[in-house]
Formats: sequence, structure tokens, C-alpha cells
Amino acid sequence: MSVTYIDAIREAQATLLRDDPRVFLYGQDIATFGGAFKATKGLADEFPGRVFDSPLSEDAMLGLAVGAAIEGMRPIIEMQFADFSSIAFNQIVNQAATHFYRTGMPIPLTVRLPSGGTAGSGPFHSQSMEGIYAQYPGLVVLTPASVSDAYHMLIDGVALEDPVIFCEHKFLYRWLKAKSINGDHLPIGQARIVRTGKHATVVAYSAMVHEAVRAAERLHEDGWEIEVVDLRSIKPLDIDTVLASVARTGRLLAVGEAFPWGGVTAEVVSRVTEEGFHLLDAPPQRLNSRDTPVPYHPKLWAAHRPTPESICEALRKLLSF
Amino acid sequence: MPTVPILMPQLGESIAEATVIRLGVAVGDSVRADQEIIEVETNKAVMGVTTVCNGIVSEIRAQEGISYSVGTLLGLLEVTDDEVARTGVETLEALEEKRNSSQNTSPDRGEANLHFALDADDAYEESPAVVPSVKGLPVPTGTMGAHYISPRMRARMDDLGLREADISAVAGTGAGGRVTVEDLERFLDYLEAWPSAHASPMRLAVADAMRRSWTRPLATVGLPALLDRVLEHRRSHSPKPGLTLYMLRAFALAIAENPTTAGYLIGDKVVHPRSFDIGVAVQIDDGVVVPVMRKVDQKPLRELIDEYDDLVTRARRRRLSEDDCRGGIATVTNFGTFGLTLGTPIPLPNETLILGIGAGVKKPVWSSEVEAFLPATIADIFLTFDHRVVDGGGAGVLLARVSELLKHPEKL
Amino acid sequence: MLKARILENKLSSLYKAGKIVGGVYLGRGQEAVSATLGTALVQGRDFFAPLIRDQAGRTAFGEPLIDCTRTYLGSALGPMRGRDGNIHRGRPELGMPAMISHLGAQVPVVAGMLFARRLRGDLDGRVGATCIGDGASSTGAFHEGLNLAAVEKLPLVLIIANNQFAYSTPNHRQFACTDLVEKARGYGIGGFSVDGTDLLACASVIPEAVRRAREGGGPQLVVAHMLRLSGHGEHDDGSYVPETVRRGHLGRDCIEVAMRQLVENGIAGVDEILAWQDQFAEEVQKAVAQAQQEAPPDPYQEDWTALATRFPLPHCNSNAQPACP
Repeated sequence: MSVTYIDAIREAQATLLRDDPRVFLYGQDIATFGGAFKATKGLADEFPGRVFDSPLSEDAMLGLAVGAAIEGMRPIIEMQFADFSSIAFNQIVNQAATHFYRTGMPIPLTVRLPSGGTAGSGPFHSQSMEGIYAQYPGLVVLTPASVSDAYHMLIDGVALEDPVIFCEHKFLYRWLKAKSINGDHLPIGQARIVRTGKHATVVAYSAMVHEAVRAAERLHEDGWEIEVVDLRSIKPLDIDTVLASVARTGRLLAVGEAFPWGGVTAEVVSRVTEEGFHLLDAPPQRLNSRDTPVPYHPKLWAAHRPTPESICEALRKLLSF
Repeated sequence: MPTVPILMPQLGESIAEATVIRLGVAVGDSVRADQEIIEVETNKAVMGVTTVCNGIVSEIRAQEGISYSVGTLLGLLEVTDDEVARTGVETLEALEEKRNSSQNTSPDRGEANLHFALDADDAYEESPAVVPSVKGLPVPTGTMGAHYISPRMRARMDDLGLREADISAVAGTGAGGRVTVEDLERFLDYLEAWPSAHASPMRLAVADAMRRSWTRPLATVGLPALLDRVLEHRRSHSPKPGLTLYMLRAFALAIAENPTTAGYLIGDKVVHPRSFDIGVAVQIDDGVVVPVMRKVDQKPLRELIDEYDDLVTRARRRRLSEDDCRGGIATVTNFGTFGLTLGTPIPLPNETLILGIGAGVKKPVWSSEVEAFLPATIADIFLTFDHRVVDGGGAGVLLARVSELLKHPEKL
Repeated sequence: MLKARILENKLSSLYKAGKIVGGVYLGRGQEAVSATLGTALVQGRDFFAPLIRDQAGRTAFGEPLIDCTRTYLGSALGPMRGRDGNIHRGRPELGMPAMISHLGAQVPVVAGMLFARRLRGDLDGRVGATCIGDGASSTGAFHEGLNLAAVEKLPLVLIIANNQFAYSTPNHRQFACTDLVEKARGYGIGGFSVDGTDLLACASVIPEAVRRAREGGGPQLVVAHMLRLSGHGEHDDGSYVPETVRRGHLGRDCIEVAMRQLVENGIAGVDEILAWQDQFAEEVQKAVAQAQQEAPPDPYQEDWTALATRFPLPHCNSNAQPACP
């Protein structure tokens, strides 16, 4: 019996609804229908009066969540796709994110963003928004890459007093399976070394962790030992674990699925260069998607995002320096 | 007849598999294009799998109640060539050929049935790779010999107190032959097998001074100097001035006549001597010290003897103060005392000139007065200079002047 | 409303004396509407999300003057502690959230506060109210928020203070309907239109809207018509307002109208009103004096974190068990 990534997200929400009366779910098509991806399948029946279909109003959904959080609730908002959170951007970054700093009252809400690309999803159902939200003070941004992290980090995230942007990867929803939902449980804000190595460090998160591990497996055949760090949480960013890894390897490649201008990989490279310049034996490298909208056709899409091949190529260049 | 696969379709984003709930056709049935033939259920909805063209069902692999992942072969249609041409469908033969040409590495595929779907794994196998955003490689050097030291190498070398000179023995394996940290660590490991001892502070001080000086373009010129007059003069005096002292005095006078030759270049500025204070290199255990004689141009030789003896004595006893060694503008080194006739001394890093003296040797010298070879004591003298400040001509003039002055020791 | 007017006159004067950092945005002309709403609400039970021109409503709802003067004058002791200024202050813990500058954004927030109370089972006759201007009625947030409140049948009272100009943009560049109250029908909610310069009219319409919401009638939209009697902020002279509009009916000062109404209807005498004025001026002066003597925020003492959570978190020692693995 295996558990998928999306099972873990559903189970986490079930656990939260069961254990915390302050939790409720609000989103489009999430009640009886169970959500566009079935992340809330059966929850409306299991927890009557706690799971609501919202009107098609991302801005108002987030506004409602802020108000509910002010009044002591812990709303979980499902965006049908991360891409649509741009409609709710104002409420997220200006209302929710500034609230604690301005008024002293925390806003414990969670926004679930089905993120990242899958074959055939196109420009408006494939985006990775984590870097944009991480740019704003006052938000916690999580990007689980494993079934167990999807489960634990959602539960731990909802328990935080701050607004949480929970970026769950659509490609991992049913592709990623584990024997159990209960794996290694690390606190939010701590990165995980998913593969140890000594020749180079790949820093990745979300679906790119799996692509990086594949690349590392291929290079292993050539005698290279690649360390792979899963950031898990984009903000706060566990730069200490990254620096410790770079201290072992001297070489850094940051891989992200988001657009190349700025973003998480740029932040990682910048922080490592600032704080660990003396650790670098080669110029730190970044690998992101191409600087175009995410293309629709699977052939184009697959060449738009980092893959094991492109990660291998980037690593080979890095290793030859 | 060609066969066309019936595949489990992608029935929604992120849907990985679906369950067959009803098989609507059996082997031998004729089917039309776009006919719903198999009913499947995803966790989102119930949908029909349709045929892509007209044909006859030749095989059903799927069973009701079983889940199949996207791309699984559910059955086969036998289709006429005309129908293939009319609809442009891909046949099983074409798909298998394509599949064989690529590798399947998806971890959840090992136990699966035949897969043909256009999913991410297949697609990126043959895609042009996305390129790193930062075009930082290869950075270091295109030319051999130009050292690129990475920040980490620099930090590690600082840790170990190493300078670039120390890693000159390491053959780099990095881009452009640069030395990587791994190269360095391997080199250090290799050195472990050799006997070694700690260098003395004196050795390290000399090493550091020489390393710093060596960063400049240094050149050496030399000429023979006749020493007989000097030796004669020396014999007739008590206390006897050392040979080096004559050199020192002659050198000071020569520089004083043309002080720019001892100028020191800093950026776009030449710093001129303020006082003609000349150092003398004294070999001691495991190093060299250079006490400085003051205002050598202004004191006749005899007045310099005591000061010279005192400095050299204290130098050998290692009793020099820091002040004793400060402020020189040039140095004299007499390696002739070791029997050496030729040398290319290195000036101190804060000086532009050093005068080296080889051992005096008796040689026949042609005398045009008597039209015969006469015995003479000759020592080659050398001037090493910072070529940024002085050129060969200037150095030659200076050296010739020293030689000239030595011919009239009584005037020194 | 009189107290608010006196307070705001003082703020305007302090602004012109260079005592205030940032802008000053006054509610002159909107006091009758705002104060009536604030009076119809009960602090401790109801929610009120004031906007830019709601000083009168804030005061009527129970906000102490000192909160206002501390925020405007930059005292570290104000509700926003120097982290936000002027009309952005709020006391969310007392049912009065702090507005953001993005107009219409408070509509779904108040809806969410009511929604939470309903989920908790103590909606209990509460209402939530917020105000926007004619300009904000053009935003997506207004539409999304009001529609959501209607769908959820929440006891929300939304006042649109149509003061004829959004900054300098006149009504005819803002909307194409005759009266914004027409929108209520489209949302399937109650709608009222009222002369915002007329205190007695406001006092009959606004509490009625609040009552209907309180009694389960769902969201209520009240459109009040008036003219802004000052610039957008004190930096603005409002020169774009035509003289005819200033001299017209909507240009009436609601305070003068209200005083006349009080006297004519025998609710209060002239002496009484003059005594109020003196009393309020003294209260305002005290609040200003106190705030002015208080220390500004200290950047060296500031807690420079936007998160309530203090990272790093301790290591996880217990695993939450899934409901059904």
C-alpha cells in the first residue's frame, strides 16, 4: 500500500480538521467535488460545515481568510492553481503579510498553491510562484518535495502563527509515492540533505529535488559524488545547511523550476557568495526554467524546465572548472 | 496489417492512473473512430476511452477493476494501411521503434506494462537542455601560467599560510590548468610522506621578503671591476676597511650623483631617496639580515669603519634593532666571500637596487702602456634593478661609475 | 461628528505647522454618515473597518482620541507603533481592523471576520461594517468581496460614501449607472440611498440597514451622497471641484446642517452645542499634548521581524499521526 503526495496533503488536512476546530477549508470546487485535484476528496462529508466551495474570487477568498484569522480561525485556502493566486496577490502580500508587523496581531492562514509544471498544462497552469512570495516580508513559503514532508509541513505550517504559502507540486501529486506518510520529520525552516556527496552540491526544492537526484545518480556512474540539498522551506531559507554542504564540496549549483530572473536560486547563490565566498572553488551556478512563459506542448515544456540531462550538463561544467 | 495501440489517456492534469470499470468491446469487434470503447474512472471523474480510427479489436489487455497508469497499453486495433494514411495515427510498430531509441528511467515504471505516453520522462530525454542562467564557466584563464586562485583556494592557502609560490609545484587539473582545492589537498597528502620540519621565523621572514620582491620585473647587469688599487689602499690603512665598505661608499656616491636610479615606483609615482642610506647584506644562521649605514655619501670611508664593524658584529650576534635595518634605499651584498664569482642578487622588496660583488680573481689584463698582459685582481660586480624604474642603460652607467670610483680609493 | 471635526481641524493645523510626518486625510463632509454608522454599531460585539474618511465613525465606535493623535504625531505608544501611520491605524483585537491603501480590500476581510464568528457559532446578532468611496466601487476587490458576502449571506453593511470625486476623478469617469445603489440589486442584497449631508436622514437610513443585517437580511449596501469638503489629503486644495458643485446641495456642510437640525427639532440648544465644542476642543488638545510629549519609535529598539514565528524552530519530537494512512 503506497501513499501519494496528494494523499498526504489530503490526510494532513483531515488531521488538521480533526484535531483543530479552528481549521476550515475554503476554495473553489473543494467541497462535494473534492477539488480540481481531489486534495479535499471526501473531507466535506467527513467534516460537515468545515469545507466550503467559494465563489470564483481569489481576492475575496484571501480577504475572507484574513478576516477569519483575525477572529481566531486557521483558514486553509486552496487556490485551484498557483497561477491564479496572482488575483489574490494584494490580499496575500499587502493584507496578510503586513498584518503582524503593523498591528501586532498574527494572521495564521495557509494558502495551498498547486504549483509547477506538468506536461500539457501551458502558461497559466504551470507557474512556480514561491520566489515572488518569498520576496515579501511576513510570509512563510514552503515547498515540500516528499510525501512525508507534504504531510508534516502542511500540519506544521498551519500551526504557525504566520501566513503560510504552501507550494505543492502538481507533478508530484500522483507521481510521487511512498510506503508511509510518516517519514523523517524535520521542523519548518530546516533543509534536508537527501543525498550525500563530496564533489558538488545541488540545492533544489520541490519537484526539482527528484530531478537533481536523478542527475546525481547518473553522474555517480562516472565516479562523481553529488550532494543534493532539499531546501524544503524557501522562507525561512536554511542557508546554514547549504553552506555546510558547500563547505564539503566547494561547488554549488542551485536548481529551480521558476523563471530565471532573480528568485530562489539567485537568493541561494547570492547568500552563499556573501557568506561563504571562501568556500567556493568554482563560480556558483544556477539552473532555472527558460525566460519565456511555460509552453503548452510537452516537447517544449520539457525543454523549458531543468531536467536530469540539463542538470547533469550544468554539473559536468561545474565539475570541470 | 498495422496495429494501433489503445492507450490509457491522460485524463486531467496530475492524473497518473485510472481504473477500468467497463470494457465495451471484445476481440473481433469492429469499431469506428471516436467510439467510446472502455469506461475508466479517475479520482476525478468517469470517462470513456475512445478509438482514434476505424478498425477491428485484435487484443484486449486491460481487465475490469484494475488501475492502469497513464500510457499503459490497454489493447490493440487492427487497422488497414489506408486508414493509417487517412487518419495519420501512430502504429504500434512506429511507437515501439521510438520507445526503443530512448531510455526509461522513471522510478515507478519498473513493474509497469508497456508505456507509450508523452509524459515528462519521455519528452525530456531528447530535449535541448535548458542552459544555466549564470554563464560563469569557464572563467579562470586562457593562458598558461596565469594563476587563477578560487576564493576557496585562497582561503585554504591562507589557512595553511601558503603563497602562490608554494603551489607552483602543483599540477592543476582544473580549467586552464588551474589548481583546484582537491589538487592542493592531494599535494599536501603527497608531502606527508616526506620528512619535513618547521621553517624558522628568520627563514620565513627572508622567504616573505624575497617573494614580495619577486613580484617585480627584476634584471641584472654586471661588469668586471679592477680591485688592485682598493686592495693596496686597504693594506695601507689601519684599521683596515672591509672590501664591502669600499663598495658601499662607491655605490652611495654613484647613486647620489643620479638619485633617480634608486627611485621607488608606487603606482604612477616615483619616490626619490631622502638620504643615501645603504644596507649591507650579512649572512647569519638560516637567513640574511640587512643593517643600514646612514648618509654614506656624506662620510669619508675612514669615518664609516667603526659604524660598519659595529653593525656587522651586532648582525652576526643577532643584536640588531628594528631601526638598524630601516630606511635603506639600496643594498650591497658581497657573495664573493663565499667564493662565488657570479650572482644575480634580489633587492629588498622596498628597494630598487642591489649591488652584488663576486670573488676577486687574479687575471691577466692587457696593458696598452707596457704592451703586455699584467696580473690584476678582478671581481665581477652586478647590479640587479627593478626594470620598471631603471633600464639597462641607466643601470650600466651606475655600475660603470661604481667601477670607476673604485679606481681611486683614496678619494672614497 | 463634532468631536471628529474639531480633531481633524486640529490635525490639519498641525500638518500645516509641520508637526505631522506623512499625509493627513480628513473626513470633512462625511461626518454625518460615518458618525451615524459608528453609533449604530456596538464595540465589543460588532466589527467596523473604517476607511480614509471615517474619523467620525471611529470616534463614535469608541476609538479613543489618543489612538489618533499618537498615530499622526508619531508616538511609539500608538496602536501602530510608528510602523504604519495616519488613517491606517486599527485595533483588530477590538473588532476594528487596520485598513490597507488598496481600496475595497477591507470588504472581504470584514466578511471573513463574520464568517469566522458564524463558524465558531457565536455570530450572535453581530454585524460587520466597512466604508468605501465612489472610487473603490470600481475595484475588483469591491465586487469580489460584496459578492462573496452575498453568497455567504453575511451580516455585512457596506457604505459607499459617494463624495463625487475619487481624488480628482469625477463620478462620470468612475461609473455609468445613475446611482451606485443600483448595484445592490445585481448582488441580490439590500440597498439604500441617502443624502449624506443630512444627519437626520442618515440617522434613519443607516441604523435601519444595520438592523436588517443584524436580523439576518444578509449584506446591505448604503450609498450616501455628499461632497468632500477638503482636498483628497491636506496637500490637495481640491481645485478641480467646480464652484457650482461646491455651492450646490451636496456642498452643504453636514455639521452646520446637523446643528440646525438639532436646534430646530429641540434636540439640543445652541448653548449646549457651544459647550460641546469647548469640551471637545479641550479633549482634543489634551490628546495632542500627550502624544506630542511621547517618544517616537526607536530604530535601535525596533523588533525588525515581520514574522510572529521565531525561527529556527526546535527539532520535532512528536509525529502527528495521519487520520487514515
